[in-house]
Amino acid sequence: MLHYYDPATQTYEPGKNGLNPDFDSFSRDLGTPPSLSEEPVSISVDGREITVPEGTSVLRAAALAGINIPKLCASDNLEAFGSCRLCAVEIEGRRGYPASCTTPVAEGMAVTTQTGKLAKLRRNIMELYISDHPLDCLTCPANGNCELQDVAGVVGLREVRYGFEGENHLDAETDSSNPYFSFDPSKCIVCSRCVRACDEVQGTFALTIEGRGFDSKVVASQNDPFMDSECVSCGACVQACPTSTLMEKSVIEEGQPEHSVVTTCAYCGVGCSFKAEMKGDQVVRMVPYKGGEANHGHSCVKGRFAFGYATHEDRIREPMIRDSINDPWQVVSWDEALAFAAKKLKATQAKYGRESIGGITSSRCTNEETYLVQKLVRAAFGNNNTDTCARVCHSPTGYGLKTTLGESAGTQTFDSVMKADTIMVIGANPTDAHPVFGSLMRKRLRQGAKLIVIDPRRIDLISTPNAEEGLHLPLRPGTNVAIVNALAHVIVTEGLEDQEFINSRCDTEAYNTWRSFIAEERNSPEAMEAVTGVAADKVREAARLYAQAGNGAIYYGLGVTEHSQGSTMVMGIANLALATGNIGKEGGGVNPLRGQNNVQGSCDMGSFPHELPGYQHVNDQAVRERFEAVWGVPIDKEPGLRIPNMFDAAIAGTFKALYVQGEDIAQSDPNTQHVEAALRALDCLVVQDIFLNETAKFAHVLLPGSTFLEKNGTFTNAERRINRVRKVMEPIAGMEDWQVTMALSNALGYPMHYNHPSEIMDEIASLTPTFTGVNYDKLEQLGSIQWPCNEEHPEGMPTMHTVDFPIGKGRFAVTEYLATEERASRRFPLLLTTGRILSQYNVGAQTRRTSNSDWHEEDVLELHPSDAELRGVKDGDWLGISSRVGHTVLRAKLSTRMLPGVVYTTFHHPSSGANVVTTDNSDWATNCPEYKVTAVQVEKVSQPSDWQRNFVDFDQRQQALLQPAMESEEGSHANALK
Amino acid sequence: MSDQQLNNLIKMLDQIIANNLHHGDDDKVSDVAADHLQKFWARSMKQQIIAHANQSPRELSVLAKLTVDKLEPTVK
Ligand code: SF4
Ligand code: SF4
Ligand code: SF4
Ligand code: FES
Repeated sequence: MLHYYDPATQTYEPGKNGLNPDFDSFSRDLGTPPSLSEEPVSISVDGREITVPEGTSVLRAAALAGINIPKLCASDNLEAFGSCRLCAVEIEGRRGYPASCTTPVAEGMAVTTQTGKLAKLRRNIMELYISDHPLDCLTCPANGNCELQDVAGVVGLREVRYGFEGENHLDAETDSSNPYFSFDPSKCIVCSRCVRACDEVQGTFALTIEGRGFDSKVVASQNDPFMDSECVSCGACVQACPTSTLMEKSVIEEGQPEHSVVTTCAYCGVGCSFKAEMKGDQVVRMVPYKGGEANHGHSCVKGRFAFGYATHEDRIREPMIRDSINDPWQVVSWDEALAFAAKKLKATQAKYGRESIGGITSSRCTNEETYLVQKLVRAAFGNNNTDTCARVCHSPTGYGLKTTLGESAGTQTFDSVMKADTIMVIGANPTDAHPVFGSLMRKRLRQGAKLIVIDPRRIDLISTPNAEEGLHLPLRPGTNVAIVNALAHVIVTEGLEDQEFINSRCDTEAYNTWRSFIAEERNSPEAMEAVTGVAADKVREAARLYAQAGNGAIYYGLGVTEHSQGSTMVMGIANLALATGNIGKEGGGVNPLRGQNNVQGSCDMGSFPHELPGYQHVNDQAVRERFEAVWGVPIDKEPGLRIPNMFDAAIAGTFKALYVQGEDIAQSDPNTQHVEAALRALDCLVVQDIFLNETAKFAHVLLPGSTFLEKNGTFTNAERRINRVRKVMEPIAGMEDWQVTMALSNALGYPMHYNHPSEIMDEIASLTPTFTGVNYDKLEQLGSIQWPCNEEHPEGMPTMHTVDFPIGKGRFAVTEYLATEERASRRFPLLLTTGRILSQYNVGAQTRRTSNSDWHEEDVLELHPSDAELRGVKDGDWLGISSRVGHTVLRAKLSTRMLPGVVYTTFHHPSSGANVVTTDNSDWATNCPEYKVTAVQVEKVSQPSDWQRNFVDFDQRQQALLQPAMESEEGSHANALK
Repeated sequence: MSDQQLNNLIKMLDQIIANNLHHGDDDKVSDVAADHLQKFWARSMKQQIIAHANQSPRELSVLAKLTVDKLEPTVK
């Protein structure tokens, strides 16, 4: 048996000291990365015997044996480099003092880490370092957390003979251009850990060591300030730096943190684990947590740095009510606000019927909170009018994967990509939208995996530094199904199928039907070329690359789902994986990349109007009976309204009240003017949010929400991983979101009593077959759990469908391509498609209130130079963009990332009105809006659109109605402090 | 019920049918489509399309009408 470091036998005791990051194994730096070998090798270090996998460094083996050899240039998330020589050791039978970080173990090796000679050698090295290092330790921001200081202490440095007068770098100037960290080269010891972190962990290659010997120094890009360089501010270099050279500004300003809590990032579906490093109840910094299974200690600019919104002055701190949206907000107590909301909701139902009200759950809130909102709707409102913003992003994933594979979720872990031989990315932009996973992909690509990208836009992943260029199929927006059929056609007609897998794992009848359909000539790449705009030989090349890869993995995003055939496309992707046997094994799979942090969870928790938690249909009597027994009320067997249906019904006057938790439907949903009309038509809109978002401007009740830092709960990431969210500060208005929902339910007369979210999870587990084994104790012990977690899989299930499918056999689905009705025409000759960028998150309410806006102040319209020339447009011109539903104005940015005829924008700023032009076309099966295809015309203009002018007016009016309430809040706040 | 709401329902129904034509003859396609409506449409939407099909049957396509006819007995 191999001797791995076993946390259970060390200081960390599960259940005893909980997940205390100061005690767990992940807080130690073992010096070099683990070896993946299974071959055991035994050595002795200072007489202690230790067995480690072959390929382990002597430095790591010693650390595992409990002996910490001094080191500076090594870190266990970076390949060993061997430059500082501090880790020198003596090895029996070998000459000299080899660096233990670059020396692999060999059977029977006897290592000595401490001798008089070694001590002297190390002291000499430290002396050289320190002679060119400022001696201002007491006032240095790294004081108390500096590896250089620690090593100086460990080697017993007592004097520096070289003096400080000689040539040195002590006057080097600090680069403070990045809003979150500074670079003070006077403290740099040129260990190159930052350079290697940027290369190996992040994959951006923004840093280099320039010059040699004494002149060598770290530079960003071509010796640019960090902010102007290629740096994407992921923070990996800051994390790697053993000195205060690269340092968070928050630490410089506030000092070293004194305790920390492990929690989960609330920004995207990667679900990175972080240590919230605290001083009292203030977050000093967020440090990616090495024990996080989704991120292994890496982060992106959002999770790492953009947490300041939590304490932003715009936070809603007290409940408010008003009778009409033209009235000023009135600050009231929680009780008053909840009674007001309950009275209005009940009055609405009394007047317009039980089905005239509904609720929207949040994909940003926790599982427990989402569960409670849908429970409130089903049990207290007595209908199934619950939906979530996943409607507008991944509802087709649910439908498509459930139909073909039997479960509405991705099949793999993120780490599985490290075993993929070909990676196919469809309609996703991981380096911007799922950055930490994007970095992992890039790592695999650098190791030689092949890349296929199917996307109208040339995404950054295609040109990954130090990896082969990816194969890009730049299809016309709206032709996904045509291309996935063409790929399948090649696989079938060129004999690239995995017959064994198909015979043993797939439904034969469905397969035969599909096969004869897909083999038809009309699905060939040649026949589809005119539709997709992609050369047939490229499609053939891609199909072969994927099918013959060994392991082929597919990752997809909203570029797949947000189409009129979104569900069909998801099934088409599943077909590809089934046909090639790329299911049920590591390195393969079908993987939706979820946008928001808890999209997976909000879907799992029964947010959809037709499904109870665990994707159990409301029509199933046995299922309903189980819920009814626990909830104590009858459940309606008919599905409820989906978000777009709610809007239609509101405009028609039959849907009159809505409870929205943590979503901004007014900004994120398509055809803004239609949405606004619907919201205006409501008699009662209850919004629970952290800010006065666009939706809240139409509300009658405003309930303060809490950020992820202010509550306990769980999020489920895109790999089905349930991660704990831990409270690090008290909720700003006194209640966590689940408590607010509970209080509202009680005010409505449907009692809910939970003391802690763990009790809500226990209820979820008792009702959801895929969650029966999940509880908070187990989450503490295991760190995280990938569902299904039940009797069969007590510790969860990393790779799905290894033996069979929840529906028995995999089901191929016929995927007939139908063109969308949204076509380019003479009037609207261009196709607009939308996406997101790294520094901003979704509707931007959070990130816009941080320095992340330094990277992205406004949404712009990217268009091809040839389209621009035709219209006399130059970079930076104001452009009017018209579709058949609306008109907005954005600044032009010329770009060759898209083919001529396709334009692109993001939707992070409300005033951009990107969704004023998107239409209410939607996916046939799920009503997921067709954001990704809108026929538009663009022309130069000199002023904002009517909608934008109205937006500014309305915004100013609503801010004015809020102002007095915010001021009275401040007053009461100040009083409370007195 | 507004015209727009009805138009949307008809559009959705047509779209569901169009995406399921591959299931075979009219009988099979309308089975699949009716099953889809039953599973995913709210009660009020079902009632509205049924009322419309009964009032102005000729405004629906043959397949849409057939689908709604199959849906009707499942809705109370
Ligand atoms: S912050 Fe990230 S991208 Fe920027 S230089 Fe450091 S490691 Fe590279
Ligand atoms: S900036 Fe920090 S990590 Fe980079 S070389 Fe200098 S001391 Fe090492
Ligand atoms: S990748 Fe996603 S989960 Fe990870 S830090 Fe960035 S935003 Fe947060
Ligand atoms: S830690 Fe081994 S040479 Fe620097």
